[in-house]
Amino acid sequence: MPTPDLDLLQGTLDLLILKALTWGPRHGYAVASWIRQTTADRLQIEEGALYTALHRMEKRGWLEAEWGVSENNRRAKYYELTTRGKKQLREETAAWNDYASAVSQVLRAT
Amino acid sequence: MPRFRGIKRLMRIERPGTAVDRAVDDELRFHFEMSMKELVNGGMTPEEARRETERRFGDVALTRDRLATIDRARLGSERRAAWWSAFSQELRYAVRGLELKPGFTAGVIITLGLGIGANAAMFGIVDRLLFRPPAYLIAPERVHRIYFGRTGRDGKEFVGRGTAYQTFTDLSRSARSMEVLVPFSNRRLAVGTGEAARELFIGASSADLWKLFTARPVIGRFFTADDDTPSANPVVVLGYRYWQSEYGGSNNVIGKSVTIGPSTFTIIGVAPHGFAAAEIAEPSAFIPINAAAVVSFSASGWQKYRTAYNVYWLELIGRRRADISADAATADLSRAFVESYRLQVAGNPKTPSINVARPRAIAAPINLERGPQASADSKVATWLLGVATIVLLIACANVSNLLLSRAFSRRREIAVRMALGVSRARLTAQLFIESMLLAFFGGVAGLAVAQWGGQALRSALLRDVELPSTIADPRILAFAAVCAIATGLLAGFAPIAQAGRTDVATALKAGSREGHGRRSTVRTTLLVVQAALSVVLLVGAGLFVRSVRNADSLHLGFEPDQLVWVEPHLRGTKLDSTQQVHLIRSLLDRAQHNSSVENASLIVTVPRGRTFGDEVFAGADSTREIKDGIMQVASPDYFATMRTRIVRGRAFSASDDAAAPRVAIVSEELARQAWPNLDPLGRCMRVSADTMPCRTVVGVAENIKLGDLAASPDPIFYLPPQQSDEGDANFIVRVRGSAVLQTDALRRDLQRLMPGAAYVVATPLTHVLEPVTRSWRLGATMFVAFGILALTLAAIGLYSVVSYVVKQRTHEMGVRIALGAQVADVVRLIVVDGVRVIVAGVAIGTVASLLAGRWIAPLLFNVSPKDPVVFTAVAVVLVAVAVSASWIPALRAARVDPSTAMRAD
Repeated sequence: MPTPDLDLLQGTLDLLILKALTWGPRHGYAVASWIRQTTADRLQIEEGALYTALHRMEKRGWLEAEWGVSENNRRAKYYELTTRGKKQLREETAAWNDYASAVSQVLRAT
Repeated sequence: MPRFRGIKRLMRIERPGTAVDRAVDDELRFHFEMSMKELVNGGMTPEEARRETERRFGDVALTRDRLATIDRARLGSERRAAWWSAFSQELRYAVRGLELKPGFTAGVIITLGLGIGANAAMFGIVDRLLFRPPAYLIAPERVHRIYFGRTGRDGKEFVGRGTAYQTFTDLSRSARSMEVLVPFSNRRLAVGTGEAARELFIGASSADLWKLFTARPVIGRFFTADDDTPSANPVVVLGYRYWQSEYGGSNNVIGKSVTIGPSTFTIIGVAPHGFAAAEIAEPSAFIPINAAAVVSFSASGWQKYRTAYNVYWLELIGRRRADISADAATADLSRAFVESYRLQVAGNPKTPSINVARPRAIAAPINLERGPQASADSKVATWLLGVATIVLLIACANVSNLLLSRAFSRRREIAVRMALGVSRARLTAQLFIESMLLAFFGGVAGLAVAQWGGQALRSALLRDVELPSTIADPRILAFAAVCAIATGLLAGFAPIAQAGRTDVATALKAGSREGHGRRSTVRTTLLVVQAALSVVLLVGAGLFVRSVRNADSLHLGFEPDQLVWVEPHLRGTKLDSTQQVHLIRSLLDRAQHNSSVENASLIVTVPRGRTFGDEVFAGADSTREIKDGIMQVASPDYFATMRTRIVRGRAFSASDDAAAPRVAIVSEELARQAWPNLDPLGRCMRVSADTMPCRTVVGVAENIKLGDLAASPDPIFYLPPQQSDEGDANFIVRVRGSAVLQTDALRRDLQRLMPGAAYVVATPLTHVLEPVTRSWRLGATMFVAFGILALTLAAIGLYSVVSYVVKQRTHEMGVRIALGAQVADVVRLIVVDGVRVIVAGVAIGTVASLLAGRWIAPLLFNVSPKDPVVFTAVAVVLVAVAVSASWIPALRAARVDPSTAMRAD
């Protein structure tokens, strides 16, 4: 099965992660799985980059991390959106939609 | 875990890292476990699962490093943020605490402000005089002012920096230790013509001067060796300030002419802002040394000043080679100076031989006040810096005391906070922040004090020097900052130590009655120290005040207050002796007819100004010879002008002219030396040589002090102008009203008579005499100011301690009053307690002052450093202050209502 060669921009990865956390606190693996399942593995996201993004966003104060116990009783680091993270998600979503609609408008032009 | 053996390999963990590393590893391990478990559940073999996990993840090692780095940065900034928030919270708490007690806060800030301000102001002066090298100077530690020592025939060594051009030439040829050697002379020369002619300081040097500095001309160029030859066209480089004040900083000055002395100079450049060569005051202009020789010494005879060994008209500054020590430079210069001296002896056999003169040179620091010829002013200034430090210590002790009493009254608050779990460290930090905050505000107040108060001080000590304001001087700012920090630490130390000892249970149980009026030892000690330091300062103040009073009440033999010294300068205008005498007479006539002038006389000798010495031979038959006789020319009005009394005989009159018999008036001292136990009137004296004709002594004048106040009186003789060399005379004029205000009008009036480029200089005589008493005046003013400051601080300290003790003993007083104690009993009880502390301080301070007296003695005038009047007065003042500072709180204690006091708490 051919994989679409999508070069994932940094901001886009952040956006995906923020979106993934809107359903409540999740650990890194859960975020990765959710993105893979939701996109049907069409975005080849390197998980290392995903963790880097998680930590960076924690440093920026968009996410808050806490160690908790996973579904199978293992110690895991859970990430949760902060108020600033939610605001960031709103803004980036709006920006992305703007961008996407602008690009598709161009592509639809006849 | 055993199911996923691949994980360890996947993560390649070799050694355990820090907590951050471990957290990252834990997170990733969880991720790998979940991933492999899910993949295995999906049907992969563990090995396939491991490989798929690795593929999905990417570079594990790199990611681990990145995550750890990000986390470390996050933790760091979180810690900083937490610290700042805690700090700003403490700061807000401290500010609120200070705001709640505005009186306390203002008291502390003013106290510290005065202390720090006094120090900053004094530091500004001392730094300028002693420590700060001249602006633009290259390698100041290697630049020296060179002094010369010669021993006279009397066996006394004289060390001075004046030297001859020929000595410079010899030294620059043979002294290998110096890479640059510059002859420099700061000369007072007339600049401009006519009414605008003024005497200004002009720096004269060789072109090598510029090699000592990094200074570059603002416009134009500096002079070069080619400009510094006897035949070169005279050129001048203007000083920055003079350029600004006289030419408005115009760029068009280059090429313009300016008259300096009798010569016309062409302006070739302007020195940069603040450039003063090696001087403290900025010269108005800089000229080549050869041009200065032409200007200073008459155009025809100036050559001899290049070659003569005995005309000391310049000083030497130089930079030693980097590989030579200062001592080696001194040795090398001494050797070169001995060689030069040998040439001098060879040229003039009358010069004392090398064995007698023992010539030596000294490479001294460039700052004049650190060299062998330091003035009393800088010694007094250094003392005053020490005194300012004492004031600051007193201020610290006081603030410490105030903080302590606050800490005491907050004992319960502190105990409660500690019981509530606030850590000791936090409490310490709290107190520390509080004292540093006070010190900070104190420092700001101190800068204001230094700015306004220091201005007067600096204009007294460093006149003619343009100084940047205190606040604009980075060195003073840094000093004030160090003072403030030291103050904060010092003042905060005792309260912090005290708070550290707070015992929660006792403090909570005891309530405000804790201690039952026991004074804290720390506070008492601080008070004793304060009192002792106040005594030292007040004793110093007393000694200087007495010095000034002694100097002022000293009978000078003349009254200088309304006198103006007038010097006519011909400045190259050619006049024959008749014309010269005519000019002098018409000037005197003009001065006498000026409405602001009371009296005027010709003079040749001016107290501290100039001295005409001549030998006197007494008696037609006597060979008694007075070598150090001083000649004064005196018009008929002379004694009335100076207000010098004629003790016997008469003053001169208009009839004592050239045709009349030769007469003289002598001072009491000369009469005593020449005719011991005989009546000098009618006797014969000869001037200059024993072959000269007799002059009959017609009067005796009281002795006058010409220079040093402590010196024995000089033998002076007075001659009528027309019977001596009146053409070279100056004038002394007694004006009505203030001499300072009348001087310039008088100068302009007389200037009108001056022919050609000739000009007149007029100086109030008090300005000439002032340096004699300045160091005492300065010492008196500053010691008194600092002493009063110290005493006030000590009084405030005592008051606060006694008040505190009274508050503590309210209950006890209530009991006493209930038992029948009278108001007087209670007051006595409290006052005696306060006085006892001060008396201890007075005792210690007196001993310290007696010990320190040794060093201050040379700075005093006719006062013993153990002067009993001063010591007694100071002790009385301190005890009086102690009584009054205890009185008010004592009365408060006596008015305690026993029932209230005993019910309270």
